[in-house]
Amino acid sequence: MAETATSWDPRGAWAGIAQPGSFGAKGEAGVFAIMLEGFGLASVIAEPDTTAALSQTVEALLGLTLPPTPRIARGPAHDIVWAGPDQWLLRTASRNGFTGLLSELSAHAAVSEQSDARAALRLSGPRARDVLAKGVMLDLHPTAFAIGDVALTNVAYVGAHLWRLDDAADGPVFEILLPRSMAGSFWSWFVASAREFGCRVASGRG
Amino acid sequence: MSGQSFRLASGGLIDRTRALAFRFDGKSYEGHAGDTLASALLANGVRLVGRSFKYHRPRGILSAGPEEPNALVELRTGARREPNTRATVVELFDGLEAASQNRWPSLAFDLLSLNGLVSPALVAGFYYKTFMWPAAFWEKLYEPLIRRAAGLGRAAGAEDPDHYEKAFAFCDLLVVGGGPAGLAAALAAGRSGTRVILCDEDFRLGGRLLAEKREIDGKPAAEWLAATLAELESIPEVRIMPRTTVFGLYDHGIYGAVERVGDHLPEPAPYQPRQRGWRIHARRAILAAGALERPIVFPGNDTPGVMLAGAARAYVNRYGVLPGREAVLFTAGDDGWATAHAITAAGGKVAAIVDTRKDADPARKALAEQLGARLFAGGVIAHARGGRQLDGVTIRDASGATTALACDLLAVSNGWNPTLHLTSHQNGKPAWDETLQCFVPGTLPAGLTVAGSAAGRFTLAQALDDGARLGREAAVDAGLIPAGAGPVPATDPETTALTPVWRVKGAKGKAFVDYQNDVTDKDVELAAREGFRPVEHLKRYTTLGMATDQGKTSNLGGLAIMAEQTGRTIPQTGTTTFRPPYTPVAIGALAGHHRGKDFRPTRLAPTHDWSREQGAVFIEAGQWLRAQYYPKPGENDWLTTVNREVLAVRAGVGICDVSTLGKIDIQGTDAAEFLERVYINGWKALPVGKARYGLMLREDGFVMDDGTTSRLGERHFLMTTTTANAGKVMQHLEFCHQVLWPDLDIQMVSVSEQWAQVAVAGPKARETLRGVVDSTHDISNEAFPYLAARAITVGGGIPARLFRISFSGELAYELAVPADYGDAMMRALTRAGEPFGITPYGTEALGVMRIEKGHVAGNELNGQTTARDLGLGKMMSTKKDFIGRLMVGRQALIEKDRPSFVGFRPIDSAQRLRAGAHFIGIGKAAVMENDEGYMTSVAYSPHLKHWMGLGLIRNGAGRIGERVRAYDPVRNGDVVVEICSPVFVDPEGTHLHG
Amino acid sequence: MRINCPHCGARDAQEFTYLGAADPQRPDGLAATEAAMTDYVYMRDNPAGPHRELWYHGAGCHSWLIVTRDTRTHAIALVEPAKTRKAGAAA
Repeated sequence: MAETATSWDPRGAWAGIAQPGSFGAKGEAGVFAIMLEGFGLASVIAEPDTTAALSQTVEALLGLTLPPTPRIARGPAHDIVWAGPDQWLLRTASRNGFTGLLSELSAHAAVSEQSDARAALRLSGPRARDVLAKGVMLDLHPTAFAIGDVALTNVAYVGAHLWRLDDAADGPVFEILLPRSMAGSFWSWFVASAREFGCRVASGRG
Repeated sequence: MSGQSFRLASGGLIDRTRALAFRFDGKSYEGHAGDTLASALLANGVRLVGRSFKYHRPRGILSAGPEEPNALVELRTGARREPNTRATVVELFDGLEAASQNRWPSLAFDLLSLNGLVSPALVAGFYYKTFMWPAAFWEKLYEPLIRRAAGLGRAAGAEDPDHYEKAFAFCDLLVVGGGPAGLAAALAAGRSGTRVILCDEDFRLGGRLLAEKREIDGKPAAEWLAATLAELESIPEVRIMPRTTVFGLYDHGIYGAVERVGDHLPEPAPYQPRQRGWRIHARRAILAAGALERPIVFPGNDTPGVMLAGAARAYVNRYGVLPGREAVLFTAGDDGWATAHAITAAGGKVAAIVDTRKDADPARKALAEQLGARLFAGGVIAHARGGRQLDGVTIRDASGATTALACDLLAVSNGWNPTLHLTSHQNGKPAWDETLQCFVPGTLPAGLTVAGSAAGRFTLAQALDDGARLGREAAVDAGLIPAGAGPVPATDPETTALTPVWRVKGAKGKAFVDYQNDVTDKDVELAAREGFRPVEHLKRYTTLGMATDQGKTSNLGGLAIMAEQTGRTIPQTGTTTFRPPYTPVAIGALAGHHRGKDFRPTRLAPTHDWSREQGAVFIEAGQWLRAQYYPKPGENDWLTTVNREVLAVRAGVGICDVSTLGKIDIQGTDAAEFLERVYINGWKALPVGKARYGLMLREDGFVMDDGTTSRLGERHFLMTTTTANAGKVMQHLEFCHQVLWPDLDIQMVSVSEQWAQVAVAGPKARETLRGVVDSTHDISNEAFPYLAARAITVGGGIPARLFRISFSGELAYELAVPADYGDAMMRALTRAGEPFGITPYGTEALGVMRIEKGHVAGNELNGQTTARDLGLGKMMSTKKDFIGRLMVGRQALIEKDRPSFVGFRPIDSAQRLRAGAHFIGIGKAAVMENDEGYMTSVAYSPHLKHWMGLGLIRNGAGRIGERVRAYDPVRNGDVVVEICSPVFVDPEGTHLHG
Repeated sequence: MRINCPHCGARDAQEFTYLGAADPQRPDGLAATEAAMTDYVYMRDNPAGPHRELWYHGAGCHSWLIVTRDTRTHAIALVEPAKTRKAGAAA
């Protein structure tokens, strides 16, 4: 028997957990949440003494510098996010050509694809910080957590990879990656925490 | 109508345009916005609000703040009923319902007040002395009796319907207390750009300024207060948090606080929590929590109508309530006189001022005359009379002569204790100040300073000065340039002279030191006589200072009397170490969102929704929810379902989610070497494309975890761990790499979340897989033999990994695909396996099959077993070092008689086995000395049609065929079993290689 | 309690797992004796004062850290990555 003719439909990390729409207090939403889908993600770990070579390769391929501290380096189609000493997460907006890119990097690093491993959310709006303050034990004040800063931490006991992007007109913008298996528990906390401000939820591409 | 007969015609900080209806013990009353329950009750002339803990004595309202020991009520009804709330801090709302506590059958007529008549039996140490013997009486007689008679309010007994939250805050400066010192501090720091959080437990900021008639800069203090608050509110980096109690100080500048978001409402506003528990991280903090007034111990001092003088003032000035029409003042210092002023100014009468100081200062004399009060200089209150309400007092003057006076209020003033609780939460010991006659903050925790009354600097001028100075200091500490230090505002003059009196001696009747615990001066004397003299003994012997108020009004009085009894000074006698929380905190506020199903995060596999569709019953496995079994319509017990699932796998094919297993990607030139060191068996020779079972030990020699690890490339391995230990193993491997052998070239990362993984097991497993695996991949027995492990593709190019491994003993595979495709994989396999009757199975059937095959799992890997115990001793390599190698060789761990792993079957095949049963020799008594081991796992084998067990028994492997008792007294089990091989099904393993 | 992770910054102690004394060194290799291993596994000092101890930043960067903490006050004098120290010592 050959492979079945029926389709293999992928199902994202938020499927069955969250839907586009609104919840909580009526009126102008204080928080906006975008469920990010379709991005490519891989962990990249430098081997002993190959950080320089890896750095050059990344620079040549993506035009980005590997951040040595908890920061994000942003390019037009790729981001590199610090993920621990000598470790990074490579993120692409689309998975097309991702496998090829990963094999090029494999020459200088241990590369593991994690595209399906995380549920990702972009949080913004004037009350985004107030929501995060209910689960994140970090000082997210603009002077303490600057644009481009990255943190590996917990949100409401769920492991999280968190960073801050450029501010939008209506306030700060954060992105947060969570273990896929805990997306449901995270969402339960998020709804309970954001409802007093009113929240709009949408789907979007990473 | 206005039932508020004690409400003043004007004045106070209440909103007279907003009337609020409330009920107390079923009776309706009215109060105003801005009232507390206590002020509203007093306005309505309600004096009796509760019964005491032990003697059921009538009690009224003593204070106007958080220290209240008497006026504890049950608030709200039904599931929201909350016991032991202090009426003095409950913000009145429309429709509030409260009930008195600890009375039976009613507040006014309490049968148990007879306890007071038999009170000689209820002195300190009563429980310890009386209810000693026999022990069985405790449960059946004494405890129910005591619980009925004593105790405080009743819990709701139903689940709390409200939501609670946690939140985290960070600041340069935390100001605890919004009185004059705290406001001045916040203002000075805020003006300098400091990130400030100002918390006050009250619903209105201002502290004592609200209760006093004072002047700042020649104007009423209210004007300064309004201007200051307006300015603070305009500073973006200043956050003002009313209704927020900072209850604890923890290591490294972390403060616990609880914000009562919805307590002042009948129920929380939509989308709002009831309370929010805060954890505030402060670079610096200023404690400006003020002070608590001290009572005096004299007979009848608990009669409703006896009130702290500062509280009486607060009721007049803040709430516009006259706490009594005919008052007597009993004071040990200047401060109490302000109360006489306030009452007269409000139209009340002060019949007498009893000032304990003998020197009849002419100014005081003149003042008393002006107030129309008789002055008893050097006098004391010998007795307060009254039952449910104060009728009058007996005054003993300096000459010893007594005068009886009628009154309905006795205001008592004995100086103030700094609210220094937070300074002692980190082991700081308060210091006695002989001049001030109170404890003041001693050594301070790092980052905390104290301002105003909390530091024993009791005047308004000192409070404003301290606040401004410390606020600027905090700004400097935050790296800012402090705003210009303007002049500290001037205040009207005040004097604080004080000669405290701890108790009135030589009078008859009960004189209370601790109102809440019904501890009298006699109890303290008894403790002294019986040798319970150290303050910690005093506390435990008499219960002084315990319960919800934690001795806020009683600790010092108790110490003072003990000092007097033992001829020592107060500081020689001891001090009280305060611990968090400052006032009671609801557990809900500490748990926040995390209760019920949100108690901790739950992990769901990518196949979860599919399993739910199939009707799975789920079970918690660590943080995961796993499908336990999949009942079909008509199957009414789990065993029927599990038997069907097991038979279906062994006869055809079944699928079971194993996504929950830990998966660790290990790469690097030293990856094989690393595995050699963490596993007991060898890895260097494992060919690429093959999997191997591995066992790892802790360094003390006991088994830590097991799993299969596959070699995906020359320097690339994929390790699997058990579901339960995934996190622990990752931590262990990181330890081995970073701490033990940092020079090894390895890179590790968890890929557990990336892959959805399913076990496909049964004789038809291969044929089923052929329906999903792309035809370019040969999965025949020859091309893909037992323990093969390779990257393949499925569904037309989707990357996947296939492992030929088996936990069931059948021909079996594990197929992994990226998690997004997990759901599709289950559907594709279901379609492909349809011709073979493919059956989803859960952890229960998985468990049955592994027991049938004698595989060890969590029950056997219980932290007390070695590889040898489990029959896996031969796996241990002797050619290499590995974690646990040396410790596993210790004498006790290699003794022949050590319990080792074997199977058990009941002689009577109808009998059920139970895990946890202990093995005892036939004919031997069931006592510890005869214990030979225990059953670790049992299951019913639908294949053998009887129960089977795995377990650990002394020298198990050497005793095959022997019979023992499986003894399980908890469940009345006593079954004769035969020791057998742990492999019950297909011992030759022919299925596996099919 | 807050621990200043050298990689991540100051974090709550909840993010870390405690292991114990940092100074005992594992006697590696086949030549190691049971006595030496027993010392390594079981024998610990219990100082009232500064204590060098291992903490794992499991909720953060996954680094093992050596934290010098005063057991009487919880004051933390120093936090270093365990990995750097060992590699440096070996070089």
